Amino acid sequence: MTGAVYDRGYRPYEGARGGQAAARAALWRATVRRALGLRRPWRQKVAPFVLLAIVTVPAVVNVGVKYLTRNTAASDIEFITYRDYVGVSNALLVFVALTAPDIICPDRRQRVLPLVFSRPLRGLDYVAAKVGAMAAILFAFSFLPQVVLFVGQMLVSTDGALTYLRDNAEVLWQVPAAVALLALYYAVIGVAIASLTTRRIIAGASIIGLFLVTSITSAVLVGPREEVETVRVGPPAEVDDGGTAGGDGFVVVSPDGTSQRTEGLVVRVDRRDPSAAPLLNVAGLPLILRDLVFLGHVHPSHPMSGLDGGGAMAVGVYVLWVAAGLVVLARRYHEVER
Amino acid sequence: MTAAAPLLRTRRLTKRYPEVTAVDGLDVEVPRGRVGLVGANGAGKTTLFRMMLGLSLPTEGELEVVGVDVARDPLGVRSRVGFMPEHECLPLDQTAADVVATFGELSGLPPRAARQRASDVLDLVGLDEARFRPVGGFSTGMRQRTKLAQALVADPELVLLDEPTAGLDPMGREEMLALVARLGSFGISVLLATHLLDDVQQVCDHVVMLDAGRLVVEGATGALLETTGTLVLDVGPDRAALVAALVARGLAAAEVGGLVEVRDAGDDALDVVRDVVADLGLPLHRMTSGLTSLDEVFLTRAGSAAGPPGGPA
Repeated sequence: MTGAVYDRGYRPYEGARGGQAAARAALWRATVRRALGLRRPWRQKVAPFVLLAIVTVPAVVNVGVKYLTRNTAASDIEFITYRDYVGVSNALLVFVALTAPDIICPDRRQRVLPLVFSRPLRGLDYVAAKVGAMAAILFAFSFLPQVVLFVGQMLVSTDGALTYLRDNAEVLWQVPAAVALLALYYAVIGVAIASLTTRRIIAGASIIGLFLVTSITSAVLVGPREEVETVRVGPPAEVDDGGTAGGDGFVVVSPDGTSQRTEGLVVRVDRRDPSAAPLLNVAGLPLILRDLVFLGHVHPSHPMSGLDGGGAMAVGVYVLWVAAGLVVLARRYHEVER
Repeated sequence: MTAAAPLLRTRRLTKRYPEVTAVDGLDVEVPRGRVGLVGANGAGKTTLFRMMLGLSLPTEGELEVVGVDVARDPLGVRSRVGFMPEHECLPLDQTAADVVATFGELSGLPPRAARQRASDVLDLVGLDEARFRPVGGFSTGMRQRTKLAQALVADPELVLLDEPTAGLDPMGREEMLALVARLGSFGISVLLATHLLDDVQQVCDHVVMLDAGRLVVEGATGALLETTGTLVLDVGPDRAALVAALVARGLAAAEVGGLVEVRDAGDDALDVVRDVVADLGLPLHRMTSGLTSLDEVFLTRAGSAAGPPGGPA
């Protein structure tokens, strides 16, 4: 069998050879291919492309609604904003829990690492390639729908595409910046957790578990959003509510001075003290940074709104998580035994 | 310059773990070619491979592989050397072509060249028809060939093969050894780690023997077999007299199956044998060099190396 093969001889390779950077890039490409299911059975392609479809649907719907209502009063309705659209889908978290273990656990379980490290690669190159691949896919899957949304809205805008572009120019840096922060964060955490075990199922469950447990804990600590408060009630004519006095019903004024009109005497007023508990929510943390990118401060509806230094704390916790993940990975993939 | 450099050069190379000294003051200079690195399990072969690839730092000493100082440029060594580990190490859910091409790219080949080379080396190892099948469905022999192919894909100057015939049936073993034997003619040096001395005797032109991390003996395979060869004498019925006379002259002579055998017979021993036979007036029907095996060399040398001072350095 092999005799016939031998007759073809052996040709030495005399072409170009790359070094460490080429090896790192090659590992990145191989990992992206694996994560997207390329050169793998169709089953492996389902998760990434279903995710891409799920995250793109809101953009398509939004553009469609805009188009259909373009000459009506409803055309100003914002179905989804660019800010909302960063990290909108929990499908992204499920994708992290499916994919991060798949790109990292088999290498250790099937003992491929000795082959990888017999190449001109350092442990940190391995970490960079794996995290980089995961982050690149998360970035692409979060950014592409935004492109669809932006281009779609630009084209259906009644004011003209150029006017829309000019009016919304700031999202051209806000969206990629916020998406990059989100992608890096989920990639580092997902890959770092997956690096701790050789079993994909355990890694995936741990990632989902971390997201779930911390978000529930944080929600419990923040407490319910609304409380019943009736403080000062009177007919509109008797209450100074900032120029809206007059008309029917009652006006309710809460302790912080905000007022609401109501037909009855009992109203629900949002009266919650700012809380730092959302910092514990591992999955939700990047959304605070997203708001910092888009708004320059924590969103008013967020439980941390009004907390002194809340934004800085969120940035600090973000940096801590990313750094901790990278330290874990650097230790797990130090290729040289001393 | 590195083309002429030896395959491996070590000076007082030592690797100590808390519990054991895996490599102990190794001093060798091994020429290029097909070299056998032999020793029992735990002799330090795998540790030496790991140090050669810069994956394990020596406790002491110096190490040069194909002319590159490993401590100074481990990545330089890794881009010139291919490695076939002993254990299972292949991604099982990928096809052989993908596995080998990916490792070609990891060795620095451009993607297109890597795919072409993968196809070529899979042909070379006899996996041309199976290359689009997942490795998980391969037999042990096919997996060993795939492992060899990934070591060869980037056309290395040297391949480190760790027990390449492990787990193969006799025919698979012969085919693997035939492949290894051919690598020399491709300009690829081979360092073949094995505990099977037969494998080395069959394909290697140079041997390094290790025992408990120490060098037992090192040299050209032919020379080792020759200098440690046994002399076989047929002198008719008066064998006992000859044996007694030879032993009296300090030779390791013994009667074996109607013949007289003299172990460790060097050039000087030949003169002594000739003189003793003439002195006794015996008929010398036949005097030949007995075929020894590397097993005998190893057992003899390892025994003396493990003993008190005086064994081979």
